[in-house]
Amino acid sequence: MMEHAWLIPIFPLVTFLVLLLSGGRLRDRGAFIGIICTLASFVLSLLVLIERFKEPTYNISIDWLSFGGTQLSAGFEINQLNALMLVVVSLVSLLVQIYSKGYMKGEVRFSIFYAYLGFFTFAMLGLVMAPNLLQLYIFWELVGVGSFLLIGFYFYKLEAKAAAKKAFIMTRIGDVGLLIGIILLFWETGSFEYGEIFQAVQSGMISSEKLTLIAILIFIGAVGKSGQFPLHTWLPDAMEGPTPVSALIHAATMVAAGVYLVAAMFPLFMASSAAMQVVAITGGITAIFAASIAMVQKDVKRVLAYSTISQLGFMMLALGTSGYVAGVFHLMTHAFFKALLFLAAGSVIHAIHTQDMEKMGGLWRKLNWTGPLFLTGTLAISGFPLLSGFFSKDEILMAAWENGSYILFGLAVVTSFLTAFYMFRLFFMMFAGDSRSQAEQVKESPFIMLIPMLALALLAVIGGYIQTPWFGTFLGEWLVEGNEALLGASHSEGPVWIMLMAVLVSLAGIYLAYMIYVKKKLSREWLVKENSEVFRILENKYYIDEIYHFTAGYAIKGFSIFLSYIERFIVGGLVSTVTSSIEGLGKVGSKLQTGQVQQYGMIAFLGLAVLLVIFAVTGGYLR
Amino acid sequence: MNVYLLSLLVFSPLLGIVMVALMPKKEERTIKQFGFFGTLPPLFLSFFLCSQYYSGVALSIFDIKLNWIRFGNLEMYDPKLFTVDFELGLDGLSLIFILLTTIISSLAAIASIYIKKEWKGYYLLFLILEIGMLGVFTAENLILFFIFFEMTLIPAFFLIGRWGFLEREKASYSFLIYNGIGSAVLLVAILILFARTGTTNIAALTQMMTMGGVSLFAPISGSMKYGLCLAFLVAFAIKLPVFPFHSWMVRVHAEAPPSIVMIHAGVLLKIGAYGIIRFGMGIFPEQYKSLAFTIVLFGVLSFLYGAFLALVQTDFKLVLAYSSISHMGIVMMGLGALNEAGIQGAIFQVISHGLIAALLFFLVGALYERTGTTMLPKLGGLAKSMPIFSGFMLACGMASLGLPGMSGFISEFMVFLGLFKSQPLLAAIGVIGLVLTAVYVLRAVMLMTFGKNDSLIEKEKWDLRGWEFLPTLVLLGLIISVGVYPNLLGGPLQGTIEAMMLALGGR
Repeated sequence: MMEHAWLIPIFPLVTFLVLLLSGGRLRDRGAFIGIICTLASFVLSLLVLIERFKEPTYNISIDWLSFGGTQLSAGFEINQLNALMLVVVSLVSLLVQIYSKGYMKGEVRFSIFYAYLGFFTFAMLGLVMAPNLLQLYIFWELVGVGSFLLIGFYFYKLEAKAAAKKAFIMTRIGDVGLLIGIILLFWETGSFEYGEIFQAVQSGMISSEKLTLIAILIFIGAVGKSGQFPLHTWLPDAMEGPTPVSALIHAATMVAAGVYLVAAMFPLFMASSAAMQVVAITGGITAIFAASIAMVQKDVKRVLAYSTISQLGFMMLALGTSGYVAGVFHLMTHAFFKALLFLAAGSVIHAIHTQDMEKMGGLWRKLNWTGPLFLTGTLAISGFPLLSGFFSKDEILMAAWENGSYILFGLAVVTSFLTAFYMFRLFFMMFAGDSRSQAEQVKESPFIMLIPMLALALLAVIGGYIQTPWFGTFLGEWLVEGNEALLGASHSEGPVWIMLMAVLVSLAGIYLAYMIYVKKKLSREWLVKENSEVFRILENKYYIDEIYHFTAGYAIKGFSIFLSYIERFIVGGLVSTVTSSIEGLGKVGSKLQTGQVQQYGMIAFLGLAVLLVIFAVTGGYLR
Repeated sequence: MNVYLLSLLVFSPLLGIVMVALMPKKEERTIKQFGFFGTLPPLFLSFFLCSQYYSGVALSIFDIKLNWIRFGNLEMYDPKLFTVDFELGLDGLSLIFILLTTIISSLAAIASIYIKKEWKGYYLLFLILEIGMLGVFTAENLILFFIFFEMTLIPAFFLIGRWGFLEREKASYSFLIYNGIGSAVLLVAILILFARTGTTNIAALTQMMTMGGVSLFAPISGSMKYGLCLAFLVAFAIKLPVFPFHSWMVRVHAEAPPSIVMIHAGVLLKIGAYGIIRFGMGIFPEQYKSLAFTIVLFGVLSFLYGAFLALVQTDFKLVLAYSSISHMGIVMMGLGALNEAGIQGAIFQVISHGLIAALLFFLVGALYERTGTTMLPKLGGLAKSMPIFSGFMLACGMASLGLPGMSGFISEFMVFLGLFKSQPLLAAIGVIGLVLTAVYVLRAVMLMTFGKNDSLIEKEKWDLRGWEFLPTLVLLGLIISVGVYPNLLGGPLQGTIEAMMLALGGR
């Protein structure tokens, strides 16, 4: 089955091409094509995963580009990590496409939406299957385009336009870092293939400074894609896209690509402790930084966006503290519960046509399905015991502790608390209390939107049981199997009190949210008044956007304008000098046309004399 | 038959010229059709040559050599000296350029349907221009090269000056002056070489200058070689163009009719790159090598300068003009990298930019035809009224900013791959341009297609239609094919690049 794995990304590509070429004539039928093709991908991915349990890594490639004596190849590889990713990506994509059939109903460009989803799914699956860094980079950029197209799907909205552009450019900055990293790595190891690179790294051929530099450059790519500080600003804005897109791209798959990249290049990072530290610290800072912003945002999707950034920071922190399995595990569980949260939020938005939390409330009784589903996701992300997020977050905390990074461990614990708090703040503001909505009739979403949410909710509940301290660490053992560099990383050990503390911390967060937003024991107004400075900074997201705008934005624009003056006056001056001197030459030449034979004769004679002198001096030739 | 094939190829547009010339002036439709048909014989002949190449035929069997001009009657010399033969030849590099020329010419002939007046003169000049371009890429000696080179200048001058936009005459004058200066420098260099070596045959010169030991008619000192190499580089840098010689090209891009800019940006500028590879690098490898740093430096300067300026333009045509300067900077960067990756990347960039620029200017032509403007502030929201056009525009913009899966990525990637090996510092400065490119391309494309616009009065059936799909689909198809499977283009180039690298002294 694995030899046919190349078909997995081809199916969604077919969707894209068919729907694009049909030019919107298929309308609602476009959804069927999309769903059927993605279903095929999903089934195939599942079969590949099952086969991968029994068989070793599969790898095939063909010559793709040759220069000099170098042959670059293209192909695909099925190892543990990407077999798992294939299933996660195709599953979430499938569920989102089913959901979109209900959510996007009535949209004029319905089939174009599915075409873009197909393109994105193609690129994401291709990214995951890439056997070498160059191919990864190719698909890495293509997912960026898919994201760009979908964020800008409502192209006539100015916010969507700006958000799409920002997303593309911010991630491009990271991508350039990645590109340089790949190129430097190529000249150090002579290859783009993972296997050969890791061999070269382990043989100690590369100096440690170079190794650190390369690892950090590659990490910059991951920072851009995964919305890590300081390149995170595009991700909240990306919420301008349709909500199913946010669930698929900006929660479950593309933004996780950065984490995937670090995981896929793990042996390289392991070889440089400085780079690992950069990864861990960036992750830790991002986690707490984004969580603090999420506490005060008023837009449902933005809260979820900052939550995504924060959770991705968590994963980076795990990877940076050698918690390979913890990072990948959380990547998987997060994909399920965050996609669920977005889809459920979309279901709410679908019902009451607003994203403003202040205008919601009391929806628990009205949305009988969405409410419990949203609650499931909220509990899972908060680390409520026995749900998937509990296990994966626990694994991360253990990893940080085991690594001896106590400061980062502390950061992670605080972030857990904040996470539980802001998620339940969100939940209570939406579902508890009295209705503040202006919508008169609130209708539960159709069946076709509920089914995918139910599937994700199920996974968000049980997804954690493949790696628990009690029932065995199946995932971890399988992931590190046959990979010497990762040996012994299948599971992190730590004292029992860590798990207890994690539970207490998340319960405390939930309790605090409950006291403020349901019981109103703590007045919100009072809190805001007492800490108005802090609130202002948080509400303005630490003014990062403004800082970028006034520094980099103005600098580039100013420099461009400066250059356009140079262009006009200096280069333009050069041009007019050239033209006027040629004109002048012509005028002098025409003055010589006097018609006097004596004068012509004299000039001819002088010319001859000059030539003779030259001849005499040089002996005939200029050398 | 094979021997005459190249001459047939080069002069095959004559058939179209005769057909157009015999038509009465007013027959607009027929002239346009004949003009287009005139570009088909070279197209098919080049396809035939290409198929021959892929079926394994050695390209040298198409070489032709006829006695043509003999200077003086110097019996004491070898009779081969001081002769200029009519000699055409083909290798992998020129085959690719020939294909680029024939394909873009045919598509530009289709785009010429937007030409509003004096069709007869237009197509006559257009076809003469094609002869010139084909000749440039097949000429086997410098004199013949120069003649064909000049043959492209004159028709282009009239085509810009007669059929362009408002300030067309000014543009065509600065085109002529700059290219004239370039030609003058080139001519001096060619004549000195001829006088010194007694031959202008490129292969013979290459051998003489690189192998050494071959007795020259008259010795050339190192500094003279240096000067000649510099002269070739300057002449072709003006053509490419490289900062600070670029302003003529900005005007031409802005004022020439879009169909001619397709040719101009697609092929004519590329003669500059071809010349640097063939003559600068080919004939004077040692001197070229010592100039590599300067070449890369000017490449990076052009790359960044063009990108920064493209960022603040309000006319879409000017955005594209500065973007062309920027992209030609990449060519210089690759050529200065002095390794296989860089040089092959530069050639890829030449071809890739040819295709992308041609497509972009075709779209500009289609846009101007409908809206009567290319000013960005006046446009916007085209995705609503012209979704297909906007889709092509976006795809083409993505190609231009080097999106993987399209030709531009392969070339940029290879150039930077090569450059990080040989000049890491300049390469690190250059990568800033990759971000800037994304910024200015997205800015321009999104200003046109995204958002809303009420000032444009939209009409029914505005979108691309009918024959307009031919150039767009062909060009986009080529851009994607090269991007998806670059060995398609890489194959024919290997021989030429290997020979270059050998002369340059390994990697």
